[in-house]
Amino acid sequence: MSEPPSDIETLARDVRIYVFREAAASARVPQAPDISRALGRPESDVRAALHHLAAGKVLILAPNDGNIWAANPFCAVPSGFRVSAGGKRYWGICIWDALGIAAALGTDAVIAAPCGDCGDAMTLEVRGENLVRSEGVVHFAVPAHHWWDNIGFT
Amino acid sequence: MLLFRDEGHVDRWCEARDLTRGATITPEQAWRLAYGWYKDKVQPQWRRHTVDEAEALLSSVGLNDAFWNLRG
Repeated sequence: MSEPPSDIETLARDVRIYVFREAAASARVPQAPDISRALGRPESDVRAALHHLAAGKVLILAPNDGNIWAANPFCAVPSGFRVSAGGKRYWGICIWDALGIAAALGTDAVIAAPCGDCGDAMTLEVRGENLVRSEGVVHFAVPAHHWWDNIGFT
Repeated sequence: MLLFRDEGHVDRWCEARDLTRGATITPEQAWRLAYGWYKDKVQPQWRRHTVDEAEALLSSVGLNDAFWNLRG
C-alpha cells in the first residue's frame, strides 16, 4: 500500500496543474506571486512547491532569483524559439520545446527559429498533429544521459 | 537543442566553440519526440516518463545508438 501524498506533494500537484494550465491558456508562465494569489496559499509555500517541482525536473527555475525560467515546454521569457498558435505567441527554450508547445497545446502552430550558426530565420509548421513544413537539421550537443547536467546548455 | 540550416552549419558552429559534434536528427524526428514527450504535459494526470518509456520513445524514432542511451 502506497503512502498518502505529503502536504508539499499535494501543493506541488496543485501548483503544477495551475502553472501549466495557465501557461497554455494565456501564453504567459505565472510566477510565485501569481500562483500564491490564484491558489490562496502563502508565497513561501508556493516557492517551496516550485523547488519541489524543479527537483523533480517538472519545470526549471532561474538560478539567480528562483523564478520559473521554463515550465517546459513553455519558456517564461522571450527566446529565439517563437511559437504562434491559437492567436497567441509562446516561446520555447530550444527547438524541441518549441515543437513541444505545439504538442502540449494540441493545436496547429508555426515555429520560427534562427539557424544556430548563421542566425537565418527558419520556419517549421505543425498542422493536424503533423509536421507539414520543415527545414534544416536539429543538433543535440549533449548525449542523452547528460541532458539534465546543465539543462540550460542542453 | 538548436535548429541549423544544414549539417555544414552544425560543423561550423561546433568548430567555432571547440565543441565535439553531438548528433543531428531531422525536424520530423524532433517533432515525433516532442509530441511523445509533451503531449500530456498540461493534463492534470501528467507524470514523468519512466526511463523505459523514454527509451521506447527515442527508439520509436530510430534513435538507438550510444548517444541516446539514458542510463549512462
